[in-house]
Amino acid sequence: MTAVLDTPTAAGTVVSTLTERSLRARRLVVDMAASERGCHLGGSLSVLDILVAALHRAAAGDGTEVVLSKGHAAAGLYAALYVSGVLPENPAPLYGRAGQPYTGHPGPKVPGVRFPTGSLGHGVPYAAGWALSRRIGGHGGLGIAVAGDGELQEGLVWETCQVAAARELGNFVLVVDRNGGQNDGLVADISPLPGLTDRFAAFGFEVVETDGHDLAALSELFDRDRSAARRPLAVVAHTVKGKGVPAVEGRAGSHYVTIDATRAAKWKRAIR
Amino acid sequence: MTLSGRDAYRDELTALAAEDPTIVCLEADLGGKNHPFQAAHPDRFFNVGIAEGAMIDMAAGLAAGGFKPFVSTFAPFAALRAAESLKLTLGYLNAGVTVMAPYAGVSGAWFGTTHHCLEDLAVLRSVPGVTVAAPHGEAEMRAVIRSAARGGGPHYVRTGRNAAYESLPLPGTQLPPVNWESEGDPEDVCLVSVGEEGTRLSLAARASTGVAHAHLVYLDHEHLAESAAELARRHTRFVVVEEHRSQGGAAEALALLLPGCEVTSVAAGREWPSTGGDHQEVMAALGLDLPAVLAAVAQARRGRPAAAGLVRACVR
Repeated sequence: MTAVLDTPTAAGTVVSTLTERSLRARRLVVDMAASERGCHLGGSLSVLDILVAALHRAAAGDGTEVVLSKGHAAAGLYAALYVSGVLPENPAPLYGRAGQPYTGHPGPKVPGVRFPTGSLGHGVPYAAGWALSRRIGGHGGLGIAVAGDGELQEGLVWETCQVAAARELGNFVLVVDRNGGQNDGLVADISPLPGLTDRFAAFGFEVVETDGHDLAALSELFDRDRSAARRPLAVVAHTVKGKGVPAVEGRAGSHYVTIDATRAAKWKRAIR
Repeated sequence: MTLSGRDAYRDELTALAAEDPTIVCLEADLGGKNHPFQAAHPDRFFNVGIAEGAMIDMAAGLAAGGFKPFVSTFAPFAALRAAESLKLTLGYLNAGVTVMAPYAGVSGAWFGTTHHCLEDLAVLRSVPGVTVAAPHGEAEMRAVIRSAARGGGPHYVRTGRNAAYESLPLPGTQLPPVNWESEGDPEDVCLVSVGEEGTRLSLAARASTGVAHAHLVYLDHEHLAESAAELARRHTRFVVVEEHRSQGGAAEALALLLPGCEVTSVAAGREWPSTGGDHQEVMAALGLDLPAVLAAVAQARRGRPAAAGLVRACVR
């Protein structure tokens, strides 16, 4: 499948496909919340559309690598990898089980995962290093890091932004899943991020704000030709924690959830 | 004229990169000035600035993209500030990244405690899969860098600041697990030297005592296990000299690997050097000087426990 959208009809088809994938993935994430281990539900659901769109971009086969830097959203990543055709098996029944690679934070034993993440901040420089390797190797492809807004409190993120801008890494894309939450509460209460787009711009990034659940907008952003770009791209994607599951949507308490099968079935029926 | 460890690294890497287009060189503002690699291969040289953690993680990305990154920053910043990146990149990912770490031990001397690193071997030796090396002299450094470039596995290479030492004679083209600089009486004590300063002190102590001197370059668990087996075939009493804390250093590891032997350590102990002076003066303040090594040899010969200032790592 090509990721280049030539006509409105083709774009509509892609968006329709991605929408169907996101809905399926959301149900899988709820299944993982209903596992013995539970999962980081709110952040997995907020980042899901970003991941589905980014993985579709990577399927173009030009060497684009997607790194989920907010590795605690592993359930969302596993689900997105499966519905995108990267993972050959449904991860939900295997999630968190002994002998299976589907741990609470993703590692490279999972097909489609190249770097270990979860200790926050590291996925951003991994993706930047990947982008640099593509550029100096004379190849196309992007290094896409998907970070959380809480994760931006890590200094490693800004170290990397400094380097990426200085190196004019136009094929590096940093997407911020701005759901406004973090482990202990709201980002705004703990360590707020005023003027976030201005911060990236000041670092020398090209900056775009978008609805992080708008698959058409996300696809269009990822599909832009960046082969001649000299500035890395920051995408501030406004999202909703727990997106798609009305019972938890927008609630800080959805950060980590363990539910029973009955509730899971009810939540899955309500997914929209 | 022999080169320092840092200069030998730069020169050897620059030469290797002429033949291997996958080698890339990264610096973090502490060695990128007038770098020969930059002059020879500017498209593969990156001074990322003061960003040690980002540099090592980016090296993981570069390695995944098919390159062999060699990154350099001072040992305290590599091994301690960026320890988590080393664990993930060199350890868990087993990425083909070589970390060159000058200013190890107290070679930062009067620059002070922030620029000292007496803990790096303890950190890196505990990360599985990392080849840890502390070469002495230009020839050993070149051999380590060639091996790292050829093998492509994760490496941590510690060296000093700018001191240049004559290399020990190497028995072949490959670095041996144990380089027997001097083979003494098997019934006598054997000095085991680690790193530049441990080797300098051991050479001086060997000259005045006539004991055997075994020099080690590779200090990770796998190499030390191999070295220990060879050491035990020739001697039973060892004095290990290293510019590192005794906790987590080579002597502690050898004591576990040589349960039938006596292993004594001349090392930095648990003090924080906090006064000025040159490298050797700061070492002396830690008890790392020739009198300390001679005392350790004398006590080991007598088979008596070490005196204050020395650590008896393991006697079984």
